[in-house]
Amino acid sequence: MLFLRRTLPMILAFVTGIIGISIYYVPHSSAQGLEEVLARWLRIVYAFAFFLGLFSLLNLHWRRVRARQAGWGYSLIVYLSFGLMIFFVLYNDGTGPFSPQARAGGYQWLFLNVQVPCGATMFSILAFFISSAAYRTFRARTPEAAILLVAAVIVMLGRVPVGAYIHDFFPAAAQWLMDVPNMAAKRGILLGVSLGIVATSLRIIFGIERSYLGGGEE
Amino acid sequence: MIDRLLNIDRRIIFVFVFIGVAVPLLLDFNLPVKITPSSQAMYDRIEQVAAEGEGIVLLSFSYGPSTVPEIQPMVLSILRHCFSHDLKVVAICLWPDAVGLAQQALETVSAEYGKEYGADYAFMGYKPGGAIVIVNMGQDLHSAYPQDNWGKASSELEVTSNIHSLRDFDFVIDFAAGNSVDHWWVPYGQEKYKFPLGAGCTAVVAPDLKPYQNSGQLVGMLGGLAGAAEYEKLVGQPGSATAAMTSQSSTHLILIAFIVLGNAMYFISRRSARSQ
Repeated sequence: MLFLRRTLPMILAFVTGIIGISIYYVPHSSAQGLEEVLARWLRIVYAFAFFLGLFSLLNLHWRRVRARQAGWGYSLIVYLSFGLMIFFVLYNDGTGPFSPQARAGGYQWLFLNVQVPCGATMFSILAFFISSAAYRTFRARTPEAAILLVAAVIVMLGRVPVGAYIHDFFPAAAQWLMDVPNMAAKRGILLGVSLGIVATSLRIIFGIERSYLGGGEE
Repeated sequence: MIDRLLNIDRRIIFVFVFIGVAVPLLLDFNLPVKITPSSQAMYDRIEQVAAEGEGIVLLSFSYGPSTVPEIQPMVLSILRHCFSHDLKVVAICLWPDAVGLAQQALETVSAEYGKEYGADYAFMGYKPGGAIVIVNMGQDLHSAYPQDNWGKASSELEVTSNIHSLRDFDFVIDFAAGNSVDHWWVPYGQEKYKFPLGAGCTAVVAPDLKPYQNSGQLVGMLGGLAGAAEYEKLVGQPGSATAAMTSQSSTHLILIAFIVLGNAMYFISRRSARSQ
């Protein structure tokens, strides 16, 4: 069983990892053909992940409802919303589930008139919380914090029309802050993260990093 | 008094922010919008494609309902720009909840310009896989999207029948609320198949994309509501983003006033604590 649990996944990770890296750089038609096949496989795997996600979501909320946990009513709303949407998807404006997606109907109406406003409202609430958090935490306690604060104020003014209305300095300074210090920091972080990903990927491919195999009995 | 101001009830801040957002929306007053180089670069690329003759643009929708106020105005402006120059448009979705948004934008703007589905634009819908879909599109568009969103074969649609790979597009634009530009389109699309790539993204994502623009991997970028307002100005059709810029300006001013007040109270309280 150790072979199935550990050795076989490590062999699969090594073989697919090496092939995956190689075909990215090999322009030969056979390598490109293999890449096309692997890409199609991956898309099928991705599609199955949706079922897994759906099962996980419904299972989590079912357990909450069954145990009458705090806020279990919201879990019922998840089921109600899911049922309503899936009904209209299958109904497909009267054409049934095996026809191409209908251009209009209950699903589109619910999406545009319920999901879009709800999603946008949830995201917009962030503005209120960020304002409150900025008031409480954005303090010039150290020289570094003071620099950050001044930079933030310049960018906040420079990225909206009122900044240019006050003085041309604000949009010019905001652009410089974004193009020079911001980009330098972002590039440094990006290079560090990318090298980390390369190192971790190589560790997985060569079987040094095995945490993805999970724990359990030997 | 100082302690009360330092620990001000957050609901008071919420009321100020609400007034800052709501009042300018009720007033018919727009502040002048200044064009940034990255927005200008996006506009110039579409102008260049139009000047070169019959061009085709791919629009990738990688966002959802939560970022509609920021991204949908830039989608509408880009579509208006493309259709006003008779450029062909192909739209795809890399996020599942973008399908309804893309359909709405395409139907709205195509009706404005009298564009015909299949001949002037096509909507290929959503495919799962993110970066993998991009790789597939680079290899063979018809294999990645054998049918459009309504079940018609992509090889039979006039607008996509002669498109075989991502290389055949004159400009690709990804509208992103997440990391689809830097994690998907740049490494698996632009770098691999070499085509002009642009981005429209939320204000949060914009700083992350600056290095890619500087390196030339991105032709241009529209960042957040400000980027959308800039593009509305460039195409000469002010819309919801331009109207919202006054709200954003007043809210930023209120936020800065609160930050200044908070710091003033902090230094006063620190000084009084030292003197005691």
